[in-house]
Amino acid sequence: MEDKKTLMDVEPGMTYTIKEINTDDEMNAFLFRLGCYTGEPITLISKKKKSCIVVIKDGRYNLDSLLSNAIIV
Amino acid sequence: MRIAFAGNPNSGKTTMYNALTGRSEKVGNWGGVTVGSKEYKLKKEYSGSNEVIAVDLPGAYSMSPFTPEESITSEYVRTANPDAIVNIVDATNLSRSLFFTTQLLELGIPVVVALNKSDINAKEGTEIDVEKLSEKLNCPVFKTISTEDKGLAEVIKTAISLAGTTQTAPYLQADINLHDKNAVDAEDRKRYNFVNKIVADVEKRKVLSAETNSQDKIDAVLTNPIAGIVIFAAVMWFVFWVSQAWLGPLVADWLVGWIEMFQEWVAGSLENSPAILSALIADGIVGGVGAVVGFLPLVMVMYFLIALLEDCGYMARVSAVMDPIFKRVGLSGKSVIPVVIGTGCGIPAIMACRTIRDERERRATSMLATFIPCGAKIPVIALFAGAFFAGASWVSTLSYFFGLVLIFLGALLIKGITGYKYRKSFFIMELPKYKVPSLKFAFKSMMERAKAYIVKAATIILVCNTVVQVMQSFNWHFQVVEEGAENTSILASIATPFAVLLIPLGFGVWQLAAAAITGFIAKENVVGTLAVVYGLTAFIDVDELEMIGGANEVAMAMGLTSVTALAYLFFNLYTPPCFAAIGAMNSEMKSRGWLWGAIGLQLGTGYTVAFLINQFGTLFTEGHFAAGFVPGLIAEALMIVALVLISKRVRSHFDEQYELHKKTAKAAA
Repeated sequence: MEDKKTLMDVEPGMTYTIKEINTDDEMNAFLFRLGCYTGEPITLISKKKKSCIVVIKDGRYNLDSLLSNAIIV
Repeated sequence: MRIAFAGNPNSGKTTMYNALTGRSEKVGNWGGVTVGSKEYKLKKEYSGSNEVIAVDLPGAYSMSPFTPEESITSEYVRTANPDAIVNIVDATNLSRSLFFTTQLLELGIPVVVALNKSDINAKEGTEIDVEKLSEKLNCPVFKTISTEDKGLAEVIKTAISLAGTTQTAPYLQADINLHDKNAVDAEDRKRYNFVNKIVADVEKRKVLSAETNSQDKIDAVLTNPIAGIVIFAAVMWFVFWVSQAWLGPLVADWLVGWIEMFQEWVAGSLENSPAILSALIADGIVGGVGAVVGFLPLVMVMYFLIALLEDCGYMARVSAVMDPIFKRVGLSGKSVIPVVIGTGCGIPAIMACRTIRDERERRATSMLATFIPCGAKIPVIALFAGAFFAGASWVSTLSYFFGLVLIFLGALLIKGITGYKYRKSFFIMELPKYKVPSLKFAFKSMMERAKAYIVKAATIILVCNTVVQVMQSFNWHFQVVEEGAENTSILASIATPFAVLLIPLGFGVWQLAAAAITGFIAKENVVGTLAVVYGLTAFIDVDELEMIGGANEVAMAMGLTSVTALAYLFFNLYTPPCFAAIGAMNSEMKSRGWLWGAIGLQLGTGYTVAFLINQFGTLFTEGHFAAGFVPGLIAEALMIVALVLISKRVRSHFDEQYELHKKTAKAAA
């Protein structure tokens, strides 16, 4: 488990490839439609204690920590 | 012929729909403004000789719905068989939008793609090869700018000409078992690969989306957990201050002057008519309605400012910055949007809850959103601030702030009662690009509101005031009530039993009870009814003072101290909203239990707040508790017992459900 880094563990300002997403089925499907799924790039713009801002495809999104901790990059 | 407007959230569907139909449906720069379908016929200049109905649908990312408002869209395009679909595509996010486009193209209904927000692309140097895209998608594609009416005529003309034809899809999903999650996933991936290839072929970007830009710097401040919240509080305070303490009253003073003149003129021309008729028309109708209309400028200024806020892209940031706080009390960041919309009107606020995915959060938000005073409550606040607190602006600030506190407390209470266990509630909010808010749209939104307000004043409030005036003027034998015998009127005898219940709150007289009751029909009625039952408009005439001015007389007539006045004001603000809003709650909650819970909670909250203010306020100012302290305590105790009983019942249901899950899980294992 230790080598698994979530969005909350990595540095902002870089683009990462999504390795795994561990939410529920519905949420996974929703993220998929935004273009957020394994193998796709995700850019971390900024990071705070309880949230972060990412770029998926050409859109910016605010994610809470629960969701960003579920995205393994 | 019907043409459906479908596309991703915040791609500009409603803006286009408004431009094509001439309607003024709500627009805003965030995803999820439109939560229900709307239809209206196209303007003649667009439809030509055809009768064409445009159908505006809530935004959706795909045909498989995630939130309740998304399912409205997928259900409509699947089952209602529109003659054509205009797919509005956010041209700044082509790579995401085309996923839904390719799904729409599979339905067989002719599709026309509108590449909207093309102005932003031009500014950023993003080029899209329209011809190539059209060829790849196998459907017509046009660049549009719906905020400037550009390209819309071509889109509509083409859609009309294609109606009745069959669309051939450029990409067809393979025949797979739709219940097999892995197969569906694989198919969706293939679809995205298809989309990615198209985008790579047709789009040339100068600026990559992943690069940090100046907007990110603004976001860093606005979504900062401390600065962001301080800024939000300051922005809202500014909105309330400008609309209710500065610009609004300034215009209102001027308007009230005109209303007075009109009333004098009416009274003058009725000089030779029977007294009862002149009282009914001059005092009841003109006076009561005039009292309400006098506050119109406050509401208009407020709407204008809120529309600017909604248009610039700030709302999504507020939602993001408030999410952690709202989560603590069992709501979500998405609950902020209904709260802000609720400053205008509770009904769209309650409807906006549809974008909240979790059912409990959604119901709780729609239950609590109306604690924020709506536009109809502004006259009530302004009247009391003016009459009892010398027009102090802290009264209105306090009203909103306290409403927010009640939302938090109410959310905690609901969390406690429902025995809310930690359930994963993910939060994701798209942060749209900022834009300079359009003064034109804000003006339109304001005028739309003003129209609705005047119509309401001229219908519901006019009727209520007339009924109140008649009920007050006659007794049960239909004889005119004589001076000094006002307590024998129909109105007095109906309102008195309610007034008794209000004694512990400090305003147990039938006049005030009657005003609070008519407030359930429309909150402006509180002002209208007070004006009628106390003949308040007479003061205005005599002193040639605006409503906000004749303070002392108004205060004296009502016989309230500043403590009981505040209690009465807050009682009216935090009891259940008008019937229309309760109806909206009913249709959003889809549960009798939750609806009655909501009404009970709101009644209890209004009563408790007024009780505490009156009793403790009197204790501080006069050194003793006010009348009815013990009966009030008993009422409060009964409420607590009811809460405990409800909580027990809800929790036992919850446990049952929970256990059932565990058992089936074991069985499966």
